[in-house]
Amino acid sequence: MWIQLGCLALALLGGAPQSEKDPKPETKAPPAEKQESPSKGDAKKDSGTKKKDEKGEKAKEEAKPKEEPPREILPPLEPGPTLFIRAKRVIVRPGVELEGAAVLVRDGRIVGVGAGLEQPKDAQVLDADTVCAGFIDVWSALAIDPGSLNDGGLGPASKSADAFDMWSAEELRRQTLRAGVTTARVQAGATARVGGTGAVVRLAPGLDERLVMLTREGCVAINVGLSANAGGGGGQLQVIDGQLVQVDAGARGMDIFDRLADLDRIGGALEQGRNYLQAQIEYKHELAEWKKKIAEKDAELEKEFKKAKKDREKEEKDAKDKGKTFEEKKYKEDKQPNEPRYDDDGETLGRVWNGELPLFVQVHRHAELRSFFKATELYTRTRFVLVGGSESRSFTKQLSERGMPVLVWPTLRGRGAPDEYDGADLSLAGDLARAGVQVVLGSGGADPAATRDLPLMAQMAMGHGLDADKAFEALTIGAARILDVDRRVGSVERGKDADLLLLDGRPLQGATRVVRVISAGRVVLNPEN
Amino acid sequence: MLTFKQLFSGATCGTLLASFAFAQAGDGRIVIKVGRVITQAGADIKNGVIVIENGRITEVGADKQGAWDIEVLEQPDLVAFPGYVEAHTSRGMDRPNENIEVAPFLDVRDSIDPISFYFEDMLRAGQTTLNIQQGNACVIGGQGMVVKPYGITIEQMLVRPNSGLKIGAAPRPGRSRATQAQALRKAFLDLRQHVEKLVKDKKDGKDYARREALFQGRDMEKEENKTGRAMDGKARWKVKDFEIVPRGEVDEKMEPLLRMVEGKIPAFIACDSAAAVRLAIEVMLENGLMETATLVLEGDAWKAADLIAANKIPVILSPNLVYVERDPVTGKEIETFVPGALDKKGVRFALQSMGNSAQGLWMQAATCVAWGLDRQKALDAVTKVPADMLKLGKRVGSLEKGKDGNVLLLSGDPLKVSTTVQFVVLEGNLVYDRSKDTRVRFLRDGVEQPNTAPRASMVERNPAAAVCCEHEGEPDHVHETKLDPGERAEPAVQQPADDGHGHGGHSDQDQQDGKDG
Repeated sequence: MWIQLGCLALALLGGAPQSEKDPKPETKAPPAEKQESPSKGDAKKDSGTKKKDEKGEKAKEEAKPKEEPPREILPPLEPGPTLFIRAKRVIVRPGVELEGAAVLVRDGRIVGVGAGLEQPKDAQVLDADTVCAGFIDVWSALAIDPGSLNDGGLGPASKSADAFDMWSAEELRRQTLRAGVTTARVQAGATARVGGTGAVVRLAPGLDERLVMLTREGCVAINVGLSANAGGGGGQLQVIDGQLVQVDAGARGMDIFDRLADLDRIGGALEQGRNYLQAQIEYKHELAEWKKKIAEKDAELEKEFKKAKKDREKEEKDAKDKGKTFEEKKYKEDKQPNEPRYDDDGETLGRVWNGELPLFVQVHRHAELRSFFKATELYTRTRFVLVGGSESRSFTKQLSERGMPVLVWPTLRGRGAPDEYDGADLSLAGDLARAGVQVVLGSGGADPAATRDLPLMAQMAMGHGLDADKAFEALTIGAARILDVDRRVGSVERGKDADLLLLDGRPLQGATRVVRVISAGRVVLNPEN
Repeated sequence: MLTFKQLFSGATCGTLLASFAFAQAGDGRIVIKVGRVITQAGADIKNGVIVIENGRITEVGADKQGAWDIEVLEQPDLVAFPGYVEAHTSRGMDRPNENIEVAPFLDVRDSIDPISFYFEDMLRAGQTTLNIQQGNACVIGGQGMVVKPYGITIEQMLVRPNSGLKIGAAPRPGRSRATQAQALRKAFLDLRQHVEKLVKDKKDGKDYARREALFQGRDMEKEENKTGRAMDGKARWKVKDFEIVPRGEVDEKMEPLLRMVEGKIPAFIACDSAAAVRLAIEVMLENGLMETATLVLEGDAWKAADLIAANKIPVILSPNLVYVERDPVTGKEIETFVPGALDKKGVRFALQSMGNSAQGLWMQAATCVAWGLDRQKALDAVTKVPADMLKLGKRVGSLEKGKDGNVLLLSGDPLKVSTTVQFVVLEGNLVYDRSKDTRVRFLRDGVEQPNTAPRASMVERNPAAAVCCEHEGEPDHVHETKLDPGERAEPAVQQPADDGHGHGGHSDQDQQDGKDG
């Protein structure tokens, strides 16, 4: 049945916008505006613009001063400094290194990378052994307010960006910078069935708000078969020693049927999104058709009005002569199609279904993974990211065939870990990568403090078989690609935002220290602080 | 142990009105002569006079006239001060709405309880202008109202209806920050979609009528195209052609929200943290509330001081003036004096009373001065600034010609701990006289009020009261019931002397308890 529906939807969508990989600049236009456009009718619009053109540019100029420029929350952003970073080694991206090169940063951006770069006079000069891109945690709970992290009632359209408190956990974020993690995808609803829309943020404390949010809508997260949400709804997160920790909550509380029901929800969610999109598109076409018909009818009525008027006068007269009451002719026309109701969850899931937003699905156990691959087979437009995947070793074939990346949390599992992690061990990342699966790393998304330890986790994975370049890629450009921010961060290339680490040795080596951190072109960590 | 609560529940039972120290409301004409007038509008005046006619101040200055043909309240030892203005309170209500999430259609008029103990208490504390708001734990809470603490019907108390809609940027119980933000945006989106649909339906209806007329061969009746008004206000979203819809067709449940978006009703937005401030400002910008909204801050919301200052938004501060957090590295407590932190950034703020009467506005202002805030700024934060926030800047907040005749006669400087409110003149009528305030006497002397259950503990604490009291012989003296000490059931409590917290007269009394008795 899915095949049929999928085909139908594809046919309907036709040239529907494919996923736009560019990071969106700030918030989307409110959806109501979108819905408005089809109802206006294209003909009207055209005539309107033509008239404007005829009036010429004078009218435009007159109209301009009346419109106030949209206000920002804050006054214009202060430009960032010009930085000239000299390094023995610049790691442009995994596998590409420049010896004795420099990086020029101006107002937040990298404007030059290379060996023969000229040093501008106004630049602040920084020296480093190695320069590389800042690390990205693809699975973080840092600075997400505890209420939202623990909220089981989130919907797909609930935004983690709203739960991200840029004024909180300052010290923890400073420590995280010191470890080299500059950017994270933060996600609320750690143990909820639906975690909502995740955000990609810069972690440096004290940054201007406009620099903090890389994207307010980075992905949608769904969790399958987490024993922590066995109680239904809210997960069990507890504050232990001032930190939010995921606590084993009746690990066996969820049986296989519950888990499969969780899995069914993925299909349900995608169907909801697809249906929403479909309804919107159908409505657009139906409305256009109806309008065309009505316009024709209108013209016809207009044409025959004189006759109709005469007929009416005659009938009226006849009725009067016969002493009857005159009755108007009944007018009938096709009913205007009903506009589908706006639904923010449906809209978000629609964007997930057609691949605009990646879908992060946390699945761990063998049985669920098997069903997951089966159930999602036909959603070819959707960009899945498998999260956790404790027992995903036996599915490397499916994963690489479908090009589905896996977000691994390389950690030692201690006592009291929920049973879905039973199959996890530190060699998972290495095993998957060797089998040709794209691997990214994350710090688990439940403990805010874990983001700080992400480079350490990567090193543990390296110690258990993950290739060093692959690990570096997983923390930089690989992570950026998955989160659709690869045009802005993840490598040291011209035109990108300057989110850089200045190291005293090679990255991801135990003895290497992060000396300075540059985030959005601002020096946010010095040896002094 | 016998608490104040229990004490008062007995005291208020049944005799609430009788216990008021209200003088009979007069004709709004009075002359007040005092040793010092703190006008809050220029220099203080020594041996000044305030003339009030028809409820309005007609003169403030030195007494040149000497003889008056209207009632003169001459108190050369006292200090005149404008009545305190409470910018935001959630007291004085009986079961306010905290359940319906989006309730712009609710009016606090229906929740205010004129005989609530709170109002009597506010009169005693000299807080003469009160903005009552319900819906602290809502998304869109409801409309507030400004009242004075005098009168037995809402109409008598009314100063200004529709003082503002309460909005929650702080998560309500059962919601998290993420879902609260979602619900808040949705409330405005619903309004927008509703208005858009009204316009669309109207247009479609007209088009249909036109075609029907053409078909039937009728001439179109001339109809007025503009039966409503175009959308007003500074919201980023505007619904075009709204003027074709008569305003009466707007869903009345949403209509107050629309008026707020059009800048006609102010907004009070509750922010419990800096993150909530961010959300509040986003909502304000989107929906044109930039010039009409006031933030009600709590918790670490002050950390967003830069955001608040950059957008020049007035704020009302939480009663807790000091924010305490722990340094994550050293474990040491860090105290931040919130008004000071905001003042440094140039944010205009009003202070708020504590939930109990012990820490009224004077106390909050005095605390600010103790923490080093400029005295004038502290006084303004309980008079002029809140008056402006409530759009009552021309009526209350200072003693000037043309303003409402709301005057407090204090026993000393307004920020002194031992100062008490001796008289309150509201709109030219003497409505409170401390010497006749039975409840104050009850506290100070342990004198039992008539018609209340015997409280033997009072007798024990002040045995003289059981016999009689110092006011014996005064014309309004009510002779107390003598009590049998044997009836005592509960142990006595230590009762502080009244001259400690003069303004409150007593402490730790919640409005609700007044009724429980």
